Formats: sequence, structure tokens, C-alpha cells
Amino acid sequence: MHADKLTAVFNEPACAHNHAKSEGERNKGCRKALKPGAAAGGCAFDGAMIALQPIADAAHLVHGPIGCWGNAWDARNTWSSGPELYRTGFTTELGELDVIHGGEKKLYKAIKAIVDKYDPPAVFVYQTCVPAMTGDDIGAVCKYAAEKFARPVIPVDAPGFVGSKSLGNKLAGETLLDHVIGTVEPELTTPTDIVLVGEYNVAGELWQVKPLLDEIGIRILATISGDGRYREVASAHRARAAMLVCSQAMLNVGRKLQERYGIPYFEGSFYGVTDMSEALRNMARILVERGAPPEIVERAEAVIAREEAKAHQRLAPYRSRFAGKRVLLFTGGVKSWSMVAALEEAGLTIIGSSVKKSTAADKERLRQLKGDEFHQWDDLKPRDIDRMLRDAKADILLSGGRSQFVALKAKVPWLDINQERHHAYAGYDGIVTLVEEIDKTLSNPIWPQVRLPAPWA
Amino acid sequence: MPQSAEKIIDHMDLFRQPEYVDLLARKRAEFENKHPDAEIERVAEWTKTEEYQEKNFAREALVVNPAKACQPLGAVFASQGFADTMSFVHGSQGCVAYYRTHLARHFKEPNSAVSSSMTEDAAVFGGLNNMIDGLANTYALYKPKMIVVSTTCMAEVIGDDLHSFIGNSKKKGSVPEDFPVPFAHTPAFVGSHVVGYDNMIKGILNYFWNAEGVTRTETSSINLIPGFDGYSVGNIREIKRLFGLMGVEDYTIISDTSEVYDTPTDGQYRMYAGGTTIEETKEALNAKATISMQQYCTTQTLAYAEEKGQEVFNFNYPLGIQGTDEFLMRVSALTGKLIPEEIKKERGRLVDAIGDSHAHIHGKRFAVYGDPDFCLGMSRFLMELGAEPVHILSTGGTKKWAKQVQKLLDGSPFGKSGTPYGGKDLWHLRSLLFTNPVDYLIGNSYGKFLERDTKTPLIRLTYPIFDRHHHHRFPTWGYQGALTVLVKLLDKILDDMDVRTNIIGETDYSFDLVR
Repeated sequence: MHADKLTAVFNEPACAHNHAKSEGERNKGCRKALKPGAAAGGCAFDGAMIALQPIADAAHLVHGPIGCWGNAWDARNTWSSGPELYRTGFTTELGELDVIHGGEKKLYKAIKAIVDKYDPPAVFVYQTCVPAMTGDDIGAVCKYAAEKFARPVIPVDAPGFVGSKSLGNKLAGETLLDHVIGTVEPELTTPTDIVLVGEYNVAGELWQVKPLLDEIGIRILATISGDGRYREVASAHRARAAMLVCSQAMLNVGRKLQERYGIPYFEGSFYGVTDMSEALRNMARILVERGAPPEIVERAEAVIAREEAKAHQRLAPYRSRFAGKRVLLFTGGVKSWSMVAALEEAGLTIIGSSVKKSTAADKERLRQLKGDEFHQWDDLKPRDIDRMLRDAKADILLSGGRSQFVALKAKVPWLDINQERHHAYAGYDGIVTLVEEIDKTLSNPIWPQVRLPAPWA
Repeated sequence: MPQSAEKIIDHMDLFRQPEYVDLLARKRAEFENKHPDAEIERVAEWTKTEEYQEKNFAREALVVNPAKACQPLGAVFASQGFADTMSFVHGSQGCVAYYRTHLARHFKEPNSAVSSSMTEDAAVFGGLNNMIDGLANTYALYKPKMIVVSTTCMAEVIGDDLHSFIGNSKKKGSVPEDFPVPFAHTPAFVGSHVVGYDNMIKGILNYFWNAEGVTRTETSSINLIPGFDGYSVGNIREIKRLFGLMGVEDYTIISDTSEVYDTPTDGQYRMYAGGTTIEETKEALNAKATISMQQYCTTQTLAYAEEKGQEVFNFNYPLGIQGTDEFLMRVSALTGKLIPEEIKKERGRLVDAIGDSHAHIHGKRFAVYGDPDFCLGMSRFLMELGAEPVHILSTGGTKKWAKQVQKLLDGSPFGKSGTPYGGKDLWHLRSLLFTNPVDYLIGNSYGKFLERDTKTPLIRLTYPIFDRHHHHRFPTWGYQGALTVLVKLLDKILDDMDVRTNIIGETDYSFDLVR
């Protein structure tokens, strides 16, 4: 891993988080050493993998021992409307002899086997800790294989030890910028072409948004990377505008699309009524600024008006059911805040939120908006989550991944809003689905049971 | 032809060979003279309508696919739970062959029961001689310590009197005078197998408890009657384990089938295994209380025990958290033994498991059919999980039962869409599944035909289970048992999601690894 690459990625000029720091701190970038011995999240490899794997027609080959992919393949519900190759778990499964003699030949043979059997438009090769340490040059192997097999073979150089999952996201973005984006010219372009960056189509969320874009007349040229196709991603540089959906993770991609290709970008979210409308408005506005027909603004407003009215109407019945119900958000995702308005509209009281990835300014804004009693927390150990849940007297926790099972032990109902979820919460329909799911969870009879001691105790 | 002596193809494949497909098609076209496909389709569709349902429910004489069996089946089951006991059914041997296959198919165990093999002349002249010979042969051949007599319809129609017949047989020397031969009249044309169970248990208790010179001296012991239960092997063992953890030692399980229906393969054939001994049965009179796990299996038995001075307590096939809570607390109150930490942990683990998975079960609609107590226990557990029991049907269910179910439903917001159907059969249920569809069906193996017709996935949770193996070896009672039931529900729900998303290139975008 090149040190300059890492420093560059860490010192992201477009990052508000970084901006908010003093000059000295800013130059150090965001590199934060993980605390040894403390529970931590996923590694850089994991982050790179989840960012790129949704490119559905490509083969994703993990160069490493069995653990890296054996534990992880197909563990996220990012859906494809067509090819399913991305869900097949390919790995070189390095063994002891490969550690001694090197795994480059094995890697080459594995790429060859994939090309022979599956004939994918591209192969992504993921570096992991072991071959990175033994010195396998995956860049060279990929280059050689690409020439030999006449197709892109892309090295994703994000071995686990370089840092966190979030860093892995960024390195995946760099990989796309270095090797993929700009390598293919699209067959067709329109003045309303956009690229969505950081949208992974978890549980089909993209498909909740796409019909609205279709109706407005906005065309998704490429998604990075939900329901993605290699050639579409490679032609993303011809988009007229970019939306950063999960903004922190791939901010570098947005900024460099602008720098290199002059594509303006905005940060937005599809979660919640207000944010969804805002996203549609921004898309239409930026496209028109770049020469798209001005009618799309009107069409966007019409869709917004209609969908908002419908959503408000559908959320209204929950107001009385949710009266006095207290919610904690624990998502790790930077845009959890964007759900707050919608949940409050449904009558819920939000009493706290994780701010792990929020900026200092965000935190201050939250404090002003919600007052001092509003819980904000950064990084919590399970024991702290447990205590905090008990103290906050929340009625429900919206959480994901690893924290949900802690919530249950603290006797707090929870709803999975992380990447393993099965319900799509994006768009106007999505927020209604979310509210419906919250309602179900709140009314499930297991919760009184969870809160009460055994009746004989 | 595809079939040849070199390689015999079995039925699964044979009739799918082109020659057979063609042959069958021609047979249909040229010889069967059947109605046009469109007409068949029209009628098939009509059977799914409200109009058809109305006619179906107006049915008076005909029962189609009953969800119950006959009294002697219950009597045989009850008697096989006693040690070294041969179940002897006075009547025709064909009936007894049914009970044996029925129980053998469910438990995957040999099943021993005999009959007096009445024939036409016995029907004319009475079955006394068959009884005399039958008891003598049974005693000589199988060397039981007790012979328990029940009856088939044949003996009941001609009015054979078991009391005098057995007395006469003893006088004739069929069995020694002091050899125990309890009995119960169990006509199949009255009630169902749960009633037969009740009659038989009462008959056995009555034989010992009302014997000459027997008086009751109350002890601190308790009796437990499991009732007719396809999961008796797992469930009775679970009860014993829970009692063990609580330190309850002084108890008698009246009719313990957990051994005889689950004997090991070790080269030894056990015609009798485990079971309640004669001594235990006699001593059970002195118990301070009798608990029935299934009210409708013990109506008369409990009345009898109460008459003898015991406290009696009814449960309705207690499943799930609250059912188990109530059961354990009752045992605790009766015995003075505390519920230990270990059981409390098991409870906590069950609550945890339900919490983990509740989102998948919440709001799902279920049809439940089976024995009256099972329907009650199962519906209650479903509502505890946030699921909705919609059709609750028991062919053996009475009006009293229906009221009890309704009361249970009224007690929970998840019971709002539920209706009890007592005395109805599975053809009624078929109509209901079409006119008011549910997500899942809970019943026994016979439900597979409903599953095929209505495409409602079936969860097998009650007797008989013929087409799946070994379910009965795992408990459904206790917190551990509830976990088994929970997993079965979840497995079906999640399998169902997989099935609905597994067409390659069509629906498999949501064929998820993590659910």
C-alpha cells in the first residue's frame, strides 16, 4: 500500500469533517489508529468488497486465505436485476505453501479459470493481508492477466490491515477512479444522465427510487455500485450530474468526478420524505443548470407534491399509535439523521442518535435543534450501549448489525435498518414501510414479556 | 417400452417416460370420456368460492377428511403407557391393525396390541368366547403383568359387557383371579380418540383405586397425565427433566409412553418398555393432586380423581412462555419446590430467541387444526409471538371448546381475526383457506393435501406425522419445547421465502444468504 495514496485518501478536501478541524489536525487527515484490544468494526478489505461487489456482472476474486471471503461471501442483500455472478464466492484460498512460495501464479491461474468458465466483462481482484505481507504483486498479475485475457482485471489494493471499513470504501472508490471510470464510452447519453455514488440497492432500495426518476425523465447512467454493470460504471464519467448517496464513504469519487470530468455533485439521501424531495429537486436543478430541458424541474415538483401528499396521508394514522414513543437511532450510517424528520412526522420522539460519522458542526446543529437532553454518542462498547439503552428508556432502537442483539439484552425492542435488512426503506414508499415495520415491532407481544421478570421471580 | 428387465424404473420416473405420457394421454382422450378441461377448471374454481363454502358448511350427513380418530386408538395409546401391559381390544382384529399401523407409522416403532378377533358368529352369539380365549392366549403368549381391555364398535353394537365378560373369563381360568384386567368401553361411534384416552385412563385408575379394601391416605406426591400426544416421547422426557431440575421427586406420570415409543436399537426387542407400573398406579390414589396437560383428554378422569379427594388442575397443551410459566408455577405451588435458576435461564433464552426472530412471525396469519387442546395451546403461543390464528378447527371440538377458543382469542389483539370451528373437517378448512387465505397451516401429515390444493405451506406439529420422521423425539413443551416449535415455524417461513425467490434469473434477486 502506497503511503501517499493513503494520506491522500485520508486528507479528503471535500470532507466537511476534515474541514471543521484546525489546520494542523487537518493535515494529519482522518487516519485514526484502531484501539488494540477494543472491539472494532470491519476491515478495509471488507469495506472495499462491499463497495464494489454490487457490480453484478463482474467476477469478484479474493486473493487470500479462506477466512477473508469464506466468512463474508454474499452476506449483504444488495440485489441485482440481472446477472448473478457477483454472488458467487471466488477465492484463491491461499495455503501454507503459497505463503512460502508466493501466490502470484495461483492468482493468475484463478483469474484464468474464471475467464474460461464464466467469461465476465471484468474481474476484480481483492488484496488481503497475507499476500500483501508476503509480497504478492497483484497489480503486476492483474496487468499481465488483463493483456492476456483482453479484458479489465482490476487490482483492489485494500488489505485489511491498512485500516477501517470506511477507509476500504474510499480505497474502492480510488480503484474505480484509477482503473474503471472513463475507460468505456457509453452507447447513448442524454442531457439528464446522472450517476448515483454510494447507492448499493440494499433490499432493492434503488428500485423504490428509480420509477420516480423515470417519471421525471432523469436517466440513471450508472450506479456505483448497486445493481451495477461493469460497462455502466466504466462510462460514469459521461454523466451530467452525480449524487453522493452515502456521502462520507465515497466523497473522493464525487470530488474527483468533478475535478476530472466536470461533473457537479451534491450530497443527498433517499431516506425520509424531506430528504427524498430534496434529492429529486437537486437532481433536476443541477441537470437543468447543465442544459437539460427545464421541464424536468416542473415534473419533479409534480412528483414531489403528489408523493409527499400520499406519504403524509399514509403516515398520519400512525400519529396516535406512536404518541409518546421514544426512539433511539444507532446506525453507524451518517445519514441516520435524515430519517429523523420522517419519524417525527409519524409521531415518534427521537431521543438520541449515533454521531460516529457526523462532523462537529453536525453535532452542534443537533444540539441546537434537539437540546442538551438529546443523546449523542460516538463509539460505544456493547456494555455502554446496554447502559445507555437502559438509561434512555427508549421504546425502540433502530439499529443494525452487531448492536441489535445487545439491544435485546437490554430489553429494548429493535428494528434492523442495516445492510442485512429485507425491507427497502428508501423513497416515499420506503419511509412508510419503515414506519409500518416500527409499528409491528412496537406492538409485538414479546416486548412486555422481555421487560418482565419470570413471573415467579 | 422404457421398462426393461435390465433396468427397472420405479414409479417416480416410469410414468414420466414419453411412452407412458403418450399412452396415458391417449387413454384419457379415447377412453375416459371425461369432461372438457374448461369445465373441470370451472368447477375446480367454483369450489374455491364463497358460494361453494356456503354449501360445504351446510353439509349434514357427510364428513370429508376428518381431523380426528376413534376412541379405541386413544385407549390403546393410553394403555401402552403402563409397564408390562398388553393392550387388548375386544372386537374385530382389523380395527386393531389400524391402531398399530397408525402408531407405528408415527413413532417409527413396533407397536403391540391384540384383539379378541371377533368374527361373524361372535357378532351373532356375543363375544364371550373370544374374550375367554383371547385373554388366555394373550396371557400365555406375551406374558404381560396387566391386560387392558377396550372395545371396538363391533363389541359395542352387540352390547358385550366387559365387566361380566372379564369376570367370566377369570372364572374360566383365562388369567389368574388376581391378575389385573382393567377395562373401558370405547365405542368409536361416540367421541374421538381423546375421549377414548380419557375413558381408558379412568378405567385403569378405577380398577386399582376402587379395588376392595383400598383407602386413600394423602401424600405430598402429585400425578401428571400427559394426554394423547404425538410428541409424548420428547414431551414426557422434558417434563421429567424439568421436574429433576426443580427437585420434584415425588410424582407419578400416569401413562408414560416415552420409553415404549422410543426403544433403542441394541439387538434386544422390547415388547414392553418403561411405563407407569402397577404399584405406581395404585399409589397414585394417594397423591395430593392430579395435573392434566390436556383438559379434553381427561374430563372424566379428573372428575374421578377429584371425587377421590385430590386437587385437580387442567392445562390445554401448554406451549410457549405463558403456558409453561403457568404449568411450572402450578407444580411449584403444589410441591413447594422453587423453580431454579437453570430453568429461569431457559426461559430467558426462549424470550431472547423470540425477540431475535419476531419480525418474521409478526402479523403472519395461521390456520390451526388438530385435537381440541392442541388447538388451544398452539393458538395461544401464536398470539404470544404476534402471529394471528385465523381458522382454528377441531373435528373433535365441542361447543364448549369453541367458546373456550373464542375467549382465548378475545384476550389478545392478535386474536381479532380468529374463528373457532368445532366439529368441522378438513374439507371445510379447504373452503376457508380459499375464501379467507392464511399464510401458513399448522396441523399433521393429512394437511399436505390442503397444502397441495391451496398452496398454503404446512407446518407439521401434531399427531399423526407420517411423512416426516422423528419429530416426536423432540419436546414441544417447556421452554426448550417452545424453542422447537418456534424453529419449526421460522424454518417454514424462511424456507417459504427461499422458495418464492429461487427461480434463476427471475426471482432470485432476493434469494438472500442472510435472512
